[in-house]
Amino acid sequence: MTTLITGGSKCGKSRFAESLLLSHSGQRRYLATMQPFGADAERAIARHREMRAGKGFSTTEQYTDLHRLMLPPHCGVLLECLCNLTANEMFREDPAPDVLRHIMRGIRHLQLQAEQLVIVTGQVGSDGIRYPAETDAYIALLGAVSRETAALADAVYECVYGIPVLLKGAASC
Amino acid sequence: MMLLTGGAYQGKTAYLLKNLPDIVCTDGETCSFSEAEHAQCINHYHALIRRLFEAQEDPAAWTARYCDAHPDGIILLNETGCGIIPLDSAERRLRELTGICGCIVAEHAQTVIRITCGIPSAIKGDLP
Repeated sequence: MTTLITGGSKCGKSRFAESLLLSHSGQRRYLATMQPFGADAERAIARHREMRAGKGFSTTEQYTDLHRLMLPPHCGVLLECLCNLTANEMFREDPAPDVLRHIMRGIRHLQLQAEQLVIVTGQVGSDGIRYPAETDAYIALLGAVSRETAALADAVYECVYGIPVLLKGAASC
Repeated sequence: MMLLTGGAYQGKTAYLLKNLPDIVCTDGETCSFSEAEHAQCINHYHALIRRLFEAQEDPAAWTARYCDAHPDGIILLNETGCGIIPLDSAERRLRELTGICGCIVAEHAQTVIRITCGIPSAIKGDLP
């Protein structure tokens, strides 16, 4: 089962994503994509670690190349998040020739291995601001990654101030 | 409590006044903090969050106190978090705080209504 969760900034996506895996009886793996650059990232990482504490997740830091990851059987996986993953893949020194295909290959690879896969993405295209071409290309790529992932997912939710709104599939909680 | 949310100019105020025509609504953009503290209904709550933040108050603690004191309170709050992370660190923090405060209100609320193009959807509880 694959679930995609989207939403805006600090809208409770992670908390909801974690809650979906709490009933999973196999191993729980947290795939962290945020690179610890700067005070803000460190604060966000610390906040997320605190939120996950006691929930039985083991953490793997995987900033790029999800297709290389090998998971144990019957694993419940939380991938957080496509926003960072997309930025990491897009702005790395040696990006893949087709970044979208490269990211989707990694996501399908996880989907094949995990018993439960919960993926967090973000809504970044609704502020109406015209950005420089590079940022605009990032918004477009993240949009494409999110759309393709939603197509692969059994359920898709949008979190609105902590409330999960079901957009696709049947409610899993 | 009730939370009315959605993007800017989607019809939150009109929806409120249609359903509760006699409601006295405090404007978070202009009211004093003590006025807001005692208000039954606060419009433009995102503006109040910004003003509290600029006055170096803790908007999350303020929001939690308001929710505890007003089980029948009504909050109108724009959705502001669906964009690129701002470059300016204060704007970044403010955007996060708006999300955090929104979650606090939504958790306390029995009813959360999201209004898009004037159309209400109850995302928690039922439409009045």
